Amino acid sequence: MGLLQGATELFPVSSLGHAVLVPSLLHWSFKQSDPSFVPFLVLLHLGTAGALLFIYRAQWVELVRSFFTAALRGKIETPSERLSMLLLVGTIPAGILGVFLEHELKSLFASPTAAASFLTVNGFLMLGAEVLRRRAERLAAAGAQTRIEQEERFAVAEQISFKAAALVGACQALALLPGISRSGVTIGGGLMAGLRHQEAARFSFLLATPIIAAAGVLEIPQLLSNPVPLGEYLAAAALAGIAAYLSARFLLRYFRSGRLDPYGWYCAGAGILSLALLTFRP
Amino acid sequence: MRGNTLAMALVVLAVVFAVVAGLYAVGVLQFLVSDPHASHHYTHAILFGVLAIASLIGANFARSKGTA
Repeated sequence: MGLLQGATELFPVSSLGHAVLVPSLLHWSFKQSDPSFVPFLVLLHLGTAGALLFIYRAQWVELVRSFFTAALRGKIETPSERLSMLLLVGTIPAGILGVFLEHELKSLFASPTAAASFLTVNGFLMLGAEVLRRRAERLAAAGAQTRIEQEERFAVAEQISFKAAALVGACQALALLPGISRSGVTIGGGLMAGLRHQEAARFSFLLATPIIAAAGVLEIPQLLSNPVPLGEYLAAAALAGIAAYLSARFLLRYFRSGRLDPYGWYCAGAGILSLALLTFRP
Repeated sequence: MRGNTLAMALVVLAVVFAVVAGLYAVGVLQFLVSDPHASHHYTHAILFGVLAIASLIGANFARSKGTA
């Protein structure tokens, strides 16, 4: 589960959807309605957040410093200060919806059918984002010879507007639904905001870190209050961190010229197949 | 002038958020919570605390624009 979560968290294929669907399809002994299930997932998310913090450790130090400098000065003067404020604006929508809809969404976690349905929707959302992006490329990147040249016509994360950051943050809130990929919808939102694929992935990863870490820290007391095999859970979190590190490295390289299409088709296919298996299995 | 008005509005909003955070923390407020019988709602309190800080930051930005 740790490896599965770590790998699927950053790949735009919905870790939560897989964490709900795979045990159900393979008849693993996880009880998804168990009170310790969500805290267990959150512990795996903490492993992922740790990997992201490690990858962007220098940037996070700079972002935190820039955040306080800009907040106290009341003025943005550097790209790093702007990015830190964009991340704040992008984090708020998911924070609000996460806190107020937490209970309702936890009840959905127990439903593999809902996860399979949302996974299908997730696939079509990413494919739709790429259709819109191709249209924008035809207008903006005319004459570009290679994919990398095409990508360079689009913006880096520090350049997007605050409205666009809020839009990407609102997209992140959709990922509270099991089956909707946080990285998928935020990368898709980033593309619609005019970011390069690689920059959309970087913004998505940076945006994920505070919310995943906060959710994890808040759920740890609930995890500790339940009789769970903590050693096994921590080992799973470490595996999730390693898988997430390798995934992030791969994806940042892939998105220099790659697109969301393969992940979109995978999610749509896996979602429809899972729905069929869940409906017709004995 | 417009910046200062916005700054004032954001400060008022920050105070409201801070009060709501306090009420959630002590368990007085039970609005949109998963367990109404819980004595404290720290998650909600933290969220409103963050919103209060974000409003104050916004006010500081608006004030700077207003005086520029």
